[in-house]
Amino acid sequence: MSVQSPEHILVVDDELGVREGCRKILSAEGYDVVTAGDGKAGLEQFLERGPFSVLLVDLQMPRMSGLELMREVRSRDEDVVCIIITAHATIDTAVEGTRQGAYSFIPKPFTADELLLAIKNGLEKRTLTLEAKRLGAERERRLLELASERSKSNTIMSCMTDGILVINTEKLVVLRNDAAARILPECSRKEIPFPLGELQNADVQEILQLIIDSTGGPIILSREIVLGKETYMVNASPVIEPGGGTSGAVAVFSDVTALKKLETAKSMFVSMVAHEVKSPLAATEGWLNLFLSGMLAKKPEEERHMIERSLLRVRTLRAMVNELLNLTAIQTGNFTLKRTPVELGVVLKEVCAAYADRAAEKHIGVATCVDQEQRVLADREAITIVFSNLVENAIKYGRDGGHVEVGLAGAGMYATVSVRDDGIGMSPTDKEKVFEEFYRARNELTASIPGTGLGLSLVKRLTELHQGTVAVESTPGEGSAFTVSLPLLQG
Amino acid sequence: MAPGKPTVLLLDDDSDFLDLERAIFEAAGFEVGSFCDPQAALTAVGEAAGSGRAVLIVCDLMMKTLDSGFSFARSIKAEPRLKHIPIIIVSAIASQKGFDFHPRTADDLVAMNADAFFDKPVQPQVLLSKAKELLARQQEPGT
Repeated sequence: MSVQSPEHILVVDDELGVREGCRKILSAEGYDVVTAGDGKAGLEQFLERGPFSVLLVDLQMPRMSGLELMREVRSRDEDVVCIIITAHATIDTAVEGTRQGAYSFIPKPFTADELLLAIKNGLEKRTLTLEAKRLGAERERRLLELASERSKSNTIMSCMTDGILVINTEKLVVLRNDAAARILPECSRKEIPFPLGELQNADVQEILQLIIDSTGGPIILSREIVLGKETYMVNASPVIEPGGGTSGAVAVFSDVTALKKLETAKSMFVSMVAHEVKSPLAATEGWLNLFLSGMLAKKPEEERHMIERSLLRVRTLRAMVNELLNLTAIQTGNFTLKRTPVELGVVLKEVCAAYADRAAEKHIGVATCVDQEQRVLADREAITIVFSNLVENAIKYGRDGGHVEVGLAGAGMYATVSVRDDGIGMSPTDKEKVFEEFYRARNELTASIPGTGLGLSLVKRLTELHQGTVAVESTPGEGSAFTVSLPLLQG
Repeated sequence: MAPGKPTVLLLDDDSDFLDLERAIFEAAGFEVGSFCDPQAALTAVGEAAGSGRAVLIVCDLMMKTLDSGFSFARSIKAEPRLKHIPIIIVSAIASQKGFDFHPRTADDLVAMNADAFFDKPVQPQVLLSKAKELLARQQEPGT
């Protein structure tokens, strides 16, 4: 018999004849044989030249008995097949040997065939044992992997910000993640599984029931639900097995509160724009109606006056539409700056002059403080829009008889323009959001002040297009100060 | 029958509408007073009512505050000496933030403390005929 990698066999017997006989027989069969004359020497060989597949051992030997050696060997490698060779084979020693883990006995004297058969059987048994062990270990490893996959999925599920709720076909809630427990507090108080009917939200119940009652197929039902201050989009779909059957339904809860707020802000903006557009249109139409009604005596100067008034309103309307278009252009990246060297002091004086009438109406004194001219590379029109908005706001939100200070200074690489008022000011919350599109501070004091909520976001975007920054300091009841910094034109 | 020209008091924060309505009512022979501040208008209503002339109010809805047109009308109708004075509300915005102010029934008008409601701009003839109708109704005995 030839084996690919020879099995190692340790033969321990105090009779030299037996040792050498075994060696000859086994070596001839291709086994690798090591021998020892007593238990102690056997153990030394086992430790030095192992591992061995088979231990052929005599029971009665000086220094260390066969059973003792077996114990020592098996405590180090339990897969070693132990075969006892003994002249004193009795039932008692056989039982004792088996108890100690011996595989079989070979009573002395034995033939070569008897020895080889015992070895062959022992090795077969060993192969089976090792294979069983390998399979066992593999199964164990797979189970561990599976368990860790499960714990991974569980961890991922519990970390998800979206809520997940799963029901089975008996309409029992069988799974919910942490987010679902947070979104539906009744979920966290109940032991899983619990009936779907115990969920408090009727919409969630309804869509999950519809999914379970449906005849199958990949459908998705969605509902928007409001729970407290939050709005959730709930998407429910069937859990489809690989075979095609439906084993339950899963609902995913996504928090859409921020989107809803944005939606509300947009519709409020649209409604505000509609109002802002409708007033000048209605005035224009009113003048034209009157003009055509023939009610007034046809005096040329009166007719001209009516047409001029209409024109004025149409122009303001166009200015407003321009502002909207500018903002949209900036938002979509279609705004091109026509940069030229601009003297900021000159622009500021022009802006202040343009608002002189508005300031006078509210008896507000506008002081311009320009120590030294500052030059920047900027789109003159865009930069004029920035300062116009700031000065207009300072007057709009200023108090009657108050003051507005417009300052220009150089600070290192930057020119800084400050517009300060002593008006109503704003709360820290308003201050934080004041540059957001459509945001308007809403309180008793601002209710009467018209605006689109676009001016400051336009200011911020235009400033940033010039690699500048805009900041605000404000105290409610004391006023606000806006500071725009723009990179100076060098040389 | 009250002596002299009927008086119309205009209240709006948009100077174009004040001037427009003034032109319409003056052409029709009304005595016109125009105001952009509800408080000043209220004082003027009191004085006009005391003069014994026929008085009519045309007011806007949203002025300094969302509520200013409504509260002005409420103040008039709450005052026994003034509550007979007809109020025409003319507004550019009939709905905002999900609220629809457009009156659909007579009850809606009563709830608004108004006798008529128009969306801006109103045709001069329509405004005038409604004004005359309301004033004529005011003159009827027993109302």
